[in-house]
Amino acid sequence: MSESFVNEPLADGVGVARAHHFESVAQQREAATLGIWAWLITELLLFSALFLVALITRIQHPEATVAAARHLKFWIGATNTVVLICSSLTMSMAIEFSRMGWQRAMVRAMLATAALGALFLVLKGYEYYADWSEHMMPFLADRPFELAETPAARLFVNLYYVATVLHAVHLFTGIALLLGMTWMAAKAGFLSRHQNWIEVYGLYWHFIDLVWILAFPILYVVNRAT
Amino acid sequence: MRGPLASLTADDRARLRRRMRTPVLTFLALLSLLAVNVTLGATLPFAHVWALEIAVVGVMVALILLVSMEVRKEPPLIRLFSGLGFFWVCIMVGMTLTDYLAR
Amino acid sequence: MSASGTVEGAAHREPHSPEATIGRKPDYLHAESTLRSWFLATDHKRIAILYLVSITGFFVIGALAAGVVRLALVVPNGAIMSNDTYNKAFTIHGVVMVWFFLIPSIPATFGNFLIPLMIGAKDLAFPKLNLTSWYVFMAGALFTLVSVVLGGVDTGWTFYAPLSTAFSNTWVLPALIGVTIVGFSSILTGLNFVVTIHTMRAPGMTWFKLPIFVWTHYATSLIFLLATPVITTALILLIAERAFHVGVFDPAFGGDPVLFQHLFWFYSHPAVYIMVLPGMGVISEIVPAFARKKLFGYRFVAYASIGLASVTFFVWGHHMFINGQSDLASLVFSSLSFAVAVPSAVKVYNWTATIHKGSLRLDTPMLYAMGYIGLFVLGGLTGLYLATLAINQHVHATYFVVAHFHYIMVGGTVLAFLGGLHFWWPKFTGRMYSEPWGRVSALLIFLGFNVTFFPQFILGYLGMPRRYATYPPEFQLLNVLSSAGATILAAGYIFPMLYLVYSLWFGRKAPANPWDAKGLEWETSSPPPTLNFVSPPEVPRIPYDYPIQATESKDQHR
Repeated sequence: MSESFVNEPLADGVGVARAHHFESVAQQREAATLGIWAWLITELLLFSALFLVALITRIQHPEATVAAARHLKFWIGATNTVVLICSSLTMSMAIEFSRMGWQRAMVRAMLATAALGALFLVLKGYEYYADWSEHMMPFLADRPFELAETPAARLFVNLYYVATVLHAVHLFTGIALLLGMTWMAAKAGFLSRHQNWIEVYGLYWHFIDLVWILAFPILYVVNRAT
Repeated sequence: MRGPLASLTADDRARLRRRMRTPVLTFLALLSLLAVNVTLGATLPFAHVWALEIAVVGVMVALILLVSMEVRKEPPLIRLFSGLGFFWVCIMVGMTLTDYLAR
Repeated sequence: MSASGTVEGAAHREPHSPEATIGRKPDYLHAESTLRSWFLATDHKRIAILYLVSITGFFVIGALAAGVVRLALVVPNGAIMSNDTYNKAFTIHGVVMVWFFLIPSIPATFGNFLIPLMIGAKDLAFPKLNLTSWYVFMAGALFTLVSVVLGGVDTGWTFYAPLSTAFSNTWVLPALIGVTIVGFSSILTGLNFVVTIHTMRAPGMTWFKLPIFVWTHYATSLIFLLATPVITTALILLIAERAFHVGVFDPAFGGDPVLFQHLFWFYSHPAVYIMVLPGMGVISEIVPAFARKKLFGYRFVAYASIGLASVTFFVWGHHMFINGQSDLASLVFSSLSFAVAVPSAVKVYNWTATIHKGSLRLDTPMLYAMGYIGLFVLGGLTGLYLATLAINQHVHATYFVVAHFHYIMVGGTVLAFLGGLHFWWPKFTGRMYSEPWGRVSALLIFLGFNVTFFPQFILGYLGMPRRYATYPPEFQLLNVLSSAGATILAAGYIFPMLYLVYSLWFGRKAPANPWDAKGLEWETSSPPPTLNFVSPPEVPRIPYDYPIQATESKDQHR
């Protein structure tokens, strides 16, 4: 079996070193790709359960949910979506560079991806700070809640924190892994032994973006409309 | 970017352009779709705008899966797995709604 | 290490001829003997042994807690221990048995050990991930164990809100965190199996040549992947609810406790099949081997495994008939629940059809398998009672439910676990256990189990609710009978622990294939070498190629 699933053939000197328990490199690549997709299924269901809770909250408390959603920082959320779409581009570029064997360009694209991820987290942190100063943290027992007159608004706002913190944890882990991998990928010979790490990691990064692409409208956008 | 690109041969530039075409086009498509959704969300032009917003999100998700994550180039098994999770989300949401929409 | 062997492969040897030992590389047990070589093992067989030892420990703890519960229920007035102690005891029993024994029991031990052997691979696809899953499991399980044993938790294994979030003053939070962590080990194990079964099969090992054991583990692994993340989210929300009063499950803020139950049972009903399907795989291996007959309706059994794993995601609401979910939901979930009976019955009929006109040998594994089939039928049929809306109103949250799921979990999974343990013990350890003691224990367990749990059907039908430390005096006779049965059951559990451990040092050396069974795992030596096969195994023409083959249909194994 050849690398039929790759668009264009890998450049010379780019490939994967076979681990002892695999019969062939093709088998090893296939296992890695299937493995990350299986993992991404679990990620999707993890977040979807939270989105389901958001949907039920909307069904049971429509007015309170709309009031809560309109208090979220819509423009910061939108900016952060742009940031992550940019990081998806740099990640795609890193994958293409790895296939072309352009190691230095790949490393730079990976660093750019990590930087954009970090920018997302910084903006997210600023957003939390803005939420805090506007009394939009109902889970803090000793702090008054802006929407106290509609108690059910608390549900959606708190759910927003659970979902965004969970996403931020995934992004933080992703950045840490990416930096670790960049450090290894900068060494000579990396692309001849572990090129598929970049591809597999890229799938994870794209998927974390995809989760945000879902979370942004579900939390910030669709519930603005009554 | 002019600096590093200047050192490339014409052949390399052509390769680069060929390789980067899809990611850049996807990037632009995603940004435009996001712009549509942000506009809809900020202006709330008509009732039930959420339905259109969700449709736009559906297109964005499909773009990321099929193009950025290259599902369209993968063998059938990977395609199956990329869709399996979404199918199961439908089961979860659908069966739960038999309760909440009928209370 | 290269797989090129020094002797001819074990495949063509007579089943009972002595082992060739000269010039052979040491088996996986003797390859290395340092502690480090065990605790940092990436060999799937060693990790399976790590799991086997740990879940046996958890089983003992869970069983002791069950003993405490049965002791308390000997008297009707709760005089033996306080209500709090009783609540903590049944919570320990439930939490430990469900989360730390039943869920990983067969997949993480036998599945880990046997899947690569059965498909002719050298290891699972991700050996380091496999080891990681054991460490994650141990970390979460020990953390929870400390909370439920030293601290005490009184919510039961289900952690229903709002008891767990607003009312209980026990160590709920650490217990929840531990259970959440253990979920990740399930996911990693399931992921490893799915990828391994898809990508690591030996050349020629097509899907319809796979043993049913592999099919059921594939189905189980899909459930691990598709269901576990949802319980993770449910538990995260529960943790957030308890720690920060998020509100989504709290009626005080307009939240909905029933929503927790939806998320909980979206996982926990399929989890029943995480516990049952691997056992069905074990039975599907044992029955043909001891009937000397090809498994009847192989394809149907294989499809039924996938069918069960899918249908199980559509029926979770049958746990929630009286909690306020909509009538429509109850109706839909109730009718769909009956669909579960179809693939379950397909399996039972095919096992019995395999036994029919077979050449039976009633050795210990077969005794367990026969017990399994009978008890699973009883447990399954009472499940249909419970899925019926009207009957459910009457027996909901009574001992009828307790008896029902113990017939499935103990009569099913534990018997399959013990049957499989005896069946593959020679393969795992290279030693034979004592057959007479094995048979005596199997009969004791079957007897003890029925004396313990059959009275509970009657108690439940008469209206005794579960999870109470006291009951009306007229129920005492049946409760004493149940507790007496538990002592017989306990004896039945203790014997195997003794004679199996004894056999490790003093048992007869096992040949490669002591049962003359079919399947690639029997073609390598007992215990297998580190890389499983000395020479690449030859994939059989058809699965279960036993001497007796019913003329079911010509194209069964095209």
